[in-house]
Amino acid sequence: MIRVAVSGINAVDNPGPGVGIAKGIRESGLEVEIYGLAYDSMDPGIYMKWLFSRSFIMPYPSEGEEVFLQRLLYIKHNYGLDVLVSALDAELPLLIKAADRLQTYGIRTFLPTYEQFKLRAKDRLPEVAERIGVKVPETRVVSSYEELVKATNDLGFPVMVKGIFYKAKKAYNVGEATAHFNEIVSEWGYPVIVQKVVQGEEMNVVGLGDGEGGHYGLVAIKKLWITSLGKIWTGVTVHNENLLKATERFVGEFKWRGGFEFECIVSGEDIYLIEINPRFPAWVYFSAGVGVNLPARLLKAALGLDVERDWDYEAGKLYVRYTDDLVADMAMFQSIVLKGEV
Amino acid sequence: MARRYEKPVIHRLHMGHTNKFGFASPYGAKVRKSIDGVPIEELVSRFGSPLFVFSERRLRQKFREVKNAFTLRYPHVEFSWSYKTNYLDAIVAILHSEGATAEVVSEFEYEKARRMGIPGPKIIYNGPYKPIDSLRVAVSEGARINIDTFEEIADLERVADEVGKRPKVAIRVNMDTGIYPRWSRFGFNYESGQAWDAVKRIALGGKLDLIGLHCHMGTFILKPEAYEIETRKLVELAYRIEDEFGFKIEYIDVGGGFPSRNRLKGIYLPPEVAVPPIEEYAERITTALLNNLRPGDYPLLILESGRAIVDEAGFLITTVHATKRLPDGRRGYVLDAGVNVLFTAFWYHFNVEVDREVSGAAEPCVLYGPLCMNIDVVEDRAHLPPLPRGTRLILSPVGAYNVTQWMQFIRYRPAVVLIGENGEVDLIREAEDISDIVSRERVPERLKPKS
Amino acid sequence: MKTGGKLMKLAISDEGFIFDPETGNSYTTNPTGLLILRMLKEGKGEEEIVKALTEEFGAEEEEARRDLYDFLEQLRAYGLVEGV
Repeated sequence: MIRVAVSGINAVDNPGPGVGIAKGIRESGLEVEIYGLAYDSMDPGIYMKWLFSRSFIMPYPSEGEEVFLQRLLYIKHNYGLDVLVSALDAELPLLIKAADRLQTYGIRTFLPTYEQFKLRAKDRLPEVAERIGVKVPETRVVSSYEELVKATNDLGFPVMVKGIFYKAKKAYNVGEATAHFNEIVSEWGYPVIVQKVVQGEEMNVVGLGDGEGGHYGLVAIKKLWITSLGKIWTGVTVHNENLLKATERFVGEFKWRGGFEFECIVSGEDIYLIEINPRFPAWVYFSAGVGVNLPARLLKAALGLDVERDWDYEAGKLYVRYTDDLVADMAMFQSIVLKGEV
Repeated sequence: MARRYEKPVIHRLHMGHTNKFGFASPYGAKVRKSIDGVPIEELVSRFGSPLFVFSERRLRQKFREVKNAFTLRYPHVEFSWSYKTNYLDAIVAILHSEGATAEVVSEFEYEKARRMGIPGPKIIYNGPYKPIDSLRVAVSEGARINIDTFEEIADLERVADEVGKRPKVAIRVNMDTGIYPRWSRFGFNYESGQAWDAVKRIALGGKLDLIGLHCHMGTFILKPEAYEIETRKLVELAYRIEDEFGFKIEYIDVGGGFPSRNRLKGIYLPPEVAVPPIEEYAERITTALLNNLRPGDYPLLILESGRAIVDEAGFLITTVHATKRLPDGRRGYVLDAGVNVLFTAFWYHFNVEVDREVSGAAEPCVLYGPLCMNIDVVEDRAHLPPLPRGTRLILSPVGAYNVTQWMQFIRYRPAVVLIGENGEVDLIREAEDISDIVSRERVPERLKPKS
Repeated sequence: MKTGGKLMKLAISDEGFIFDPETGNSYTTNPTGLLILRMLKEGKGEEEIVKALTEEFGAEEEEARRDLYDFLEQLRAYGLVEGV
């Protein structure tokens, strides 16, 4: 029996990837017990007993490394814990730093290195793009109104105004750009990225790097429909040779280890790199559904088992997200609130 | 008595904010019963509350750690103690005994360093405002002066004529190293050519010896890469100056700005994850030097580190005076120390420790200082179990910028003690009394109270 | 002390979990809070509650009284008791 903890089980309107990861792992053929790591007593995964046999409230990573690791050790000591699959940006720096320590405690992970993790910063994208031979939308890094206005003059409207790690908003004039700039600065600080809007197909690749330049599978999706929060709602698998080749160059050049999402705009022959997420995206279950079970492969890689490398998925498979309802007892809520576990 | 008493509390669960550790953390209250082996209660009963406590052991340890990080990587390093961070005599005495020179930014700090026995040549004089009288003293005593403005160049030339000595100077440079905000108001800009103009101006005057370059990018800089860019640009500028004007640049002063393990507001990650180790900064700076310097040339590398060295050596003990229930349901505590003595509370979330085991679940609470002003908030998002009156809180790190920026507003400033490496506790600054405040006041005869 | 009918309707578990079936709100409390709520439900007054806190938990009387006021203030803020 392998005991796996999965975080990001907040399957809400801006969903974390944990539920999708758990579904994939359940279909791995391995004998597993999956625990959910939650940050709120209302995280829906807690109540999905068919996926997560137990769930635990975690202290926020901002509370400190020691407190976070103590909680993991508590779980290991009382219930057993072999592998941790993290799927939240906020946890990653802490876990990457603590990965060796966790390993000595007998908790395995399969995470990118800190150097790889830092590539997610949007001001690093031009460097990444250059090294793998793709483009980035023309970009200015700004930190004042003066620079913002100059950037919009250079780029022309519309532009995307982005935070260094999160948030992206489209602006059609200086007024809008200034409003977005202020909002992003107040939330994420300086600098702010201003980017030319590129026309093309929005495509994303989910993948799992082996840490040595190869990978355990890639699946490319074209977004068909997104929610008002910009989250994918329906999509379709595609075989875009240029995009997949570019993703393989990315994995090879940076020797990426662990799950990732490679977000691009494909415009004819040109690939524009928009974002790198250093973890699986919320739609990762789609990979399992089309026969490239990346969550299960990540688990195997963490355990040091032989991992499949085939990834000949079919183009034209549809991804349809839907809402569902479940009924739970107050007793479960009471237990997670009072004891922090259920 | 069957069970241990804990204050009765009731919390409403807000959906989306029901993280057990948010309000019921078993780790919520960290207990600290002593500092370097000296019990909190003993310190308070001898010296009162609030009380600043410095640890000599931690201070020396940190200094050596930072120093080693650089001296193991580069052969020629000077540490110049940033007086503004903490200029208590006893603290600077420790740092000077470790070999640090003095970095001062005013005539007051200059006088303080001289008083501590530091000779002029071991002083670096920085800052945007250097009164001409202070330049006269600094030049005649042979201090190194990092120039901030064109006016200062002219002032120094005047002083050179007056005292008949060639001042040893550097120019302060500001530049784009990829960090924000950019401190472009200090010194001469690199990219715009202003710095080059300053060099030309100094060469034209012919009265000053340009022997160094200085840059101080900012404060609490979390990107070690920025120092690599800074150092590379300074080295490039140094060789350009040497080649075109024949000045030998003897020192590269990369300033300070290294972070301590303090929790800066607005930074999500805890300091042990967010703050890179000092070795990473040292690696970047020394690599940039070794990669760009000409063979056999090892100019002096000067570091003006302050916060990274002293912050974690300082604690503040404060006492719970009263409890308030706020209309929003949170608990508020009135402490005997506030932003009057803790200037850095405006930027940091301190580590809050309690002097005793307090049972009960941690709850969100606010720590207020003693001032009759709304802004006097030490911490607005603490999580502590319900604390009885008289509980001592230990706040840290507070060693940097507080005992220099504290203000005398309506209250006396508290005592400061030092726990020596030998375990002895010495008073290093007495608590103030009314004489400290009124000694320089003068009342016109006609306004004197009639007795 | 006027507690009204609200307290009588609350579902209070031995572990300190409280559910208000009228509003759907949930609360948590600690052992001393639980004791006070139970005594209020039984119609007990201030003196009796302070006495119970000192006897059962060994609290100082002055501290217990101060804390009881504070607890009642919280209950009023949540609308679980009425009046002053």
